[in-house]
Amino acid sequence: MTRNFSIWPVVLILLLISAPIVIMYSYLALGTVTTTEPGDLLPSKLALDNWRFLFDTSTAAGNIWIATLNTFVFAASIMVIVLTVSATGGYAMSRLNLPFRRFVLSGIMVMHAFPSVTLIIGVFLVLQFTGLYDTMIGVILVKASLMLPFGIWIMKGFYDAVPWEIEMAGVQDGASRFTVWRRLILPQVRAGLVALGLFAFLDGWGEYVLPRILAPTNDFRVLSIVLELVGNPDRTNYDFDLFKTVGVFYTLPVLVIFVFFQHRLMDIFGGGTKG
Amino acid sequence: MRSRTSGLGLLLISPAMLLLAIFFFTPALLTGVFSFTNMSSSTGISGGAYVVTPNLLKALSARGMQPATIEALEEASYSVDADGLAAARAADVDPAFLDEIEARYAGRAYATDSDFLAALKDLPSRPRRIRDLKLAMEPFTKSVLNVRFATEELARTAIAERVAGISDDEMATLLSESYTGWVWTTENFGKLFAGHETWRIIANTIFYVATTLTLFNVTLGLFLAVTTFYLPKKLGAIFTVIWLLPRITPVVLYAIMWKWFTWDDGFVAVLAGELGLPSFNYMKGSVTSAWTIVIMVNGFIGASFGMILFSGALRSIPIQQLWASEVDGATRWQQVRYIILPQLRWPILFVTSYQTLSLLTSYQEIWLTTNGGPGSTTTVWALESFRTALFNYSGSLQYGLGAAMALLLVAVGLMLSIIYLRLFRFGELVTQPKIEF
Repeated sequence: MTRNFSIWPVVLILLLISAPIVIMYSYLALGTVTTTEPGDLLPSKLALDNWRFLFDTSTAAGNIWIATLNTFVFAASIMVIVLTVSATGGYAMSRLNLPFRRFVLSGIMVMHAFPSVTLIIGVFLVLQFTGLYDTMIGVILVKASLMLPFGIWIMKGFYDAVPWEIEMAGVQDGASRFTVWRRLILPQVRAGLVALGLFAFLDGWGEYVLPRILAPTNDFRVLSIVLELVGNPDRTNYDFDLFKTVGVFYTLPVLVIFVFFQHRLMDIFGGGTKG
Repeated sequence: MRSRTSGLGLLLISPAMLLLAIFFFTPALLTGVFSFTNMSSSTGISGGAYVVTPNLLKALSARGMQPATIEALEEASYSVDADGLAAARAADVDPAFLDEIEARYAGRAYATDSDFLAALKDLPSRPRRIRDLKLAMEPFTKSVLNVRFATEELARTAIAERVAGISDDEMATLLSESYTGWVWTTENFGKLFAGHETWRIIANTIFYVATTLTLFNVTLGLFLAVTTFYLPKKLGAIFTVIWLLPRITPVVLYAIMWKWFTWDDGFVAVLAGELGLPSFNYMKGSVTSAWTIVIMVNGFIGASFGMILFSGALRSIPIQQLWASEVDGATRWQQVRYIILPQLRWPILFVTSYQTLSLLTSYQEIWLTTNGGPGSTTTVWALESFRTALFNYSGSLQYGLGAAMALLLVAVGLMLSIIYLRLFRFGELVTQPKIEF
């Protein structure tokens, strides 16, 4: 296209409205290697000791590696549950004949559009009755289940796009429907599995409210809880630079995954349920 | 042709159905059921006991219960039994004295203080001081006051024993008032509609959803999508990534960064101070600034949703239309106004409806930033329901009332999602599977 407009005013406006994000994230990054006196705008000196929490367990962050491992286990469990259940459920919904199929499918779509945060009080009661309250297994099951309508819906979409001739050919050659799904169809939807898996992992990695409310005194601390503790100004040994550094440490894996898989994730963010 | 049910299909779908039933359907049902109870952290969740407390008797007496009944309930009696002796031993009463009590009075009961006291004064090894004697009497007290009765039957017998000939009315009142567990009630909804805070919170919610949606999710989303579309590819990509950052950052980090940005010696306050503008805690200092921050915190996440969706829709507009308009001498603004916007009608409608629902029910960001303050000026419905039921500093959590508030949200959410599904003709997506044996 021709340039019948000058781009500088547009860039200027964009920069202006992006300023809060740019400033916040630059300061976040700067704060990890410098210290800033209270009341100053610019950092005064280099300070790498903000990173001491990595090997020093006496800071407010405690033992960061255990929390990191916990978060990894937490996010990975959610990812595994969401992937297996959505991969099987999505296939059944896409290709197999089920009683009340139409009804179930509309139900899943309503649940997908439905904001699951409103269910937290009901979920709290369910966990109380089943004895899963204050256990990490309970939180993992809840988080994974709340993502399921989305996961099944996405996987159904991917299965729908697989040409049914592939399936037909497999069945003609005498394979069972299960073998056809396992050996022929699953490899076809690998892109969907990767995208959904990454999304589930990132969502689990950043989760805060569910562990905070449904497992408040559990020893299985995830990074979001640790970060909230470190960032609480009411603490006696409050250190905001430490908060920034732990925050960057916490977000780095997310950024790495995002940079490498940006295109796969972009399709799925459009269907996300956040804000 | 009706094809038969696939056994494999049932097997494959069952884990999903099970999890959805437990963690989606049951919670929705329980929200509905328990919104009709007065369940709270003081009643407990699994049921309660019957306890008659002095405070309860005072309240009942004020409400006109027979003074005779009240007196009878308040009065203590004494009986010398194994329980009482064990309690007395635990309370360090002189063992010799206790042995005498056991030998002389085991199994007897005394209706009043003075009777029991007189009986004890007959014993040779009684304590000299009257105060010690009273202390020794205490473990033998039999009273309905402050005793936990596990079932209604136990409470009924105990009360009937103390108050001979209590009327059925009074018994019923006593039993229902002394129950500490939760009971069925419709009071929650009455409370909600009577409270003046309710209307204010509803007004807050409408203001919050409408402003965030129009300013950020739709307008800013559109602006970002259109500008990054026209900018050179690399430059556009930079802004896309910048605006995706809030979405991919974990919510705790994002919220506390905003706190830092706006608090007393945070960036905005310091900058404003250096420029000679009023410098204060912008997040909590004034209602206007608090609302601005709340809307920005949510809007900066929401804008990227619109941006992604509109960008996708923009790229699917045939580029020839834009070329043709340029040949005719259209400016960029005319292109946007007459070619792009009309073709984005459906995505705009989709973003509007989808984000209405998600803004209506979002509370995480507000909870972690202003927490509804200053006062309750930025409290929205979802946040209030969450705080009522699950999280507040006083620690008295009202599950029933919170569930009633959530139920209204669930109802609105369900209604809107069904309307949207009709609106966007998702029905076409639920057609029969092609291949079936």
